[in-house]
Amino acid sequence: MFCLSLIEHNLPLPPHLLNRPLLDAIKEELERLFLDKVISNLGLCISIYDIRTIEGGFVFPGDGSSTYKVVFRLIMFRPYVGEILCGKLKASDANGLHLSLGFFDDIKVPVHLLPLKSRMGEDGIWIWEHECGDLPMDLDEEVHFRVTKINYPPIPVEQDANANPFSPMEIIVSYFLKYALM
Amino acid sequence: MKTLQANAGVLTNLEVLEFLRARGATSDPMGCLGAVAPSECKVFDHLVNTGACNQTRGAIDEFLKRCEKFKLAKAEKLNIINLRPSNQALIDPIIEYCEKRLTKDEARGIDEVQELVDLVLEVLPPPPAKPDEEMQALEETPTEKLMEEN
Repeated sequence: MFCLSLIEHNLPLPPHLLNRPLLDAIKEELERLFLDKVISNLGLCISIYDIRTIEGGFVFPGDGSSTYKVVFRLIMFRPYVGEILCGKLKASDANGLHLSLGFFDDIKVPVHLLPLKSRMGEDGIWIWEHECGDLPMDLDEEVHFRVTKINYPPIPVEQDANANPFSPMEIIVSYFLKYALM
Repeated sequence: MKTLQANAGVLTNLEVLEFLRARGATSDPMGCLGAVAPSECKVFDHLVNTGACNQTRGAIDEFLKRCEKFKLAKAEKLNIINLRPSNQALIDPIIEYCEKRLTKDEARGIDEVQELVDLVLEVLPPPPAKPDEEMQALEETPTEKLMEEN
């Protein structure tokens, strides 16, 4: 689920942080920049793991902030394709299911990746028709799912006023049941 | 910003949990405001509810040593450690080509899939029991901490 990424960044340190110890100030600036943000093809940044090197500290002309070249590692949330994860069912509609991991919400099960004999019941709850009986996929149920793809859609230039907020990282998954049916 | 190495190593859930705990994250939502960001708190809350919260490095080392004979890929071992599958139905999707790689011959009494399940149940501690699951019949006995419903 989680992996480390080694990043190099030219970080301008704003002047109001100059009285703080260097390491703390740089860490705070990096957290402000990267924490809880999605980096394309790398995943969602969870935390700064460590800072490897800090170089520079040059002040460019006309600029009050000093610029450092920092090499550091980030903990990224990036599940690999084929990984099995466990999350909660948040929403269900005609396009499929919407799952959530608590800290990450954009997990979708499109209709073609639901179990073969599923149908949409009343209240918009999908029901899996199994030999042992019908199993409704109720909301707030803990389910296991397998990751099939991760999309990083580009930022839209224009958006409708009441469209859903743009999600920079989408995970497409296929559905598994919570209880084992042997 | 330049990415020097997109994948500089994978982390198990336990390592991320220990890292956040060392920074000062706790289950108490008000307690961890100064040291840890709210987004990190959410990750911590999620991990604490999985099997990772009771694990130890020793248990993981022992599991890795004892599952050598199954010849699992690194990603499969990581997935098993994170997920802690407690029955065959959960192990099967984790391992690719499970029927071909792990033999199951009832005539000779060899069932490698069940051996792997038993190994997981024995070495890796179970996740904390949830209060509503205690009401229904459980496949594994509830242990240790009860997580409070938020």
